[in-house]
Amino acid sequence: MTPLAVIQPPMSAYGLTSGGSITPSLPAMPAEQPGALAPAQPSGDSFSTVLGKMVAEVNDKQISAAQTVNNLQAGGNVSLHQAVIAMEEANVSFQLMVEVRNKLLDAYQQIMQMQI
Amino acid sequence: MIDILSGIQSTAAALDAERTRLDVISENIANADTTHGPDGKPYQRQVVVFESALQQAMNGVQIPTLRVAGIERDPTPSEMVYEPGNPDADAHGMVAMPNVNVQEEMADMISASRTFDANLAVVKNARDMAEQVLAIGKH
Repeated sequence: MTPLAVIQPPMSAYGLTSGGSITPSLPAMPAEQPGALAPAQPSGDSFSTVLGKMVAEVNDKQISAAQTVNNLQAGGNVSLHQAVIAMEEANVSFQLMVEVRNKLLDAYQQIMQMQI
Repeated sequence: MIDILSGIQSTAAALDAERTRLDVISENIANADTTHGPDGKPYQRQVVVFESALQQAMNGVQIPTLRVAGIERDPTPSEMVYEPGNPDADAHGMVAMPNVNVQEEMADMISASRTFDANLAVVKNARDMAEQVLAIGKH
């Protein structure tokens, strides 16, 4: 394992290239051999596709939470706890999205500040 | 879809069911003295029956949850009270009162309200767990 990979694993190490799930187990690192540093071509969606999907999902949750609250206030067939749970789900998924974005920027800045 | 707050589906179903139970209890307490219903008979106490169920989650997994199987009538016979002035009194001045015991309903209400609280605590705990996990990434 090279020190570079230890400090800043490639994006595929975050498990973001394998399917639509955000947190699957880490993909197996290639065994130590010459030329193993170059990451293999990702088999699933690209990172930007997965990130876009996630943002869309978070947006969906926000919209459905807003609809539930509107429905509640309009006297629809929604109970108070359903509205609050929908709001909490939207809130937590938004926090997750912000956390992923922070990590991404963090990785970018670490690479930019790298001494060569 | 991301399963952000795991286990929330069964808890939400339980909250719904407990709310129905509280609604029925409030109906019982409100009608504790109703001697004349739409069918001309005294009000009969109602009881909520829960049943466990399986709910299809978004990812196709079956989640054990519960639902209200039905609202049944309590078959306990009405108590007869001597009240000759009551328009619903029979020839002997006896009035059939609803089979609602207000003290029992209050105890049921406490139980339903505590169960509701417990389910709310589960929601809160799931939320806190998710937030604590997200805090792993913070410095």
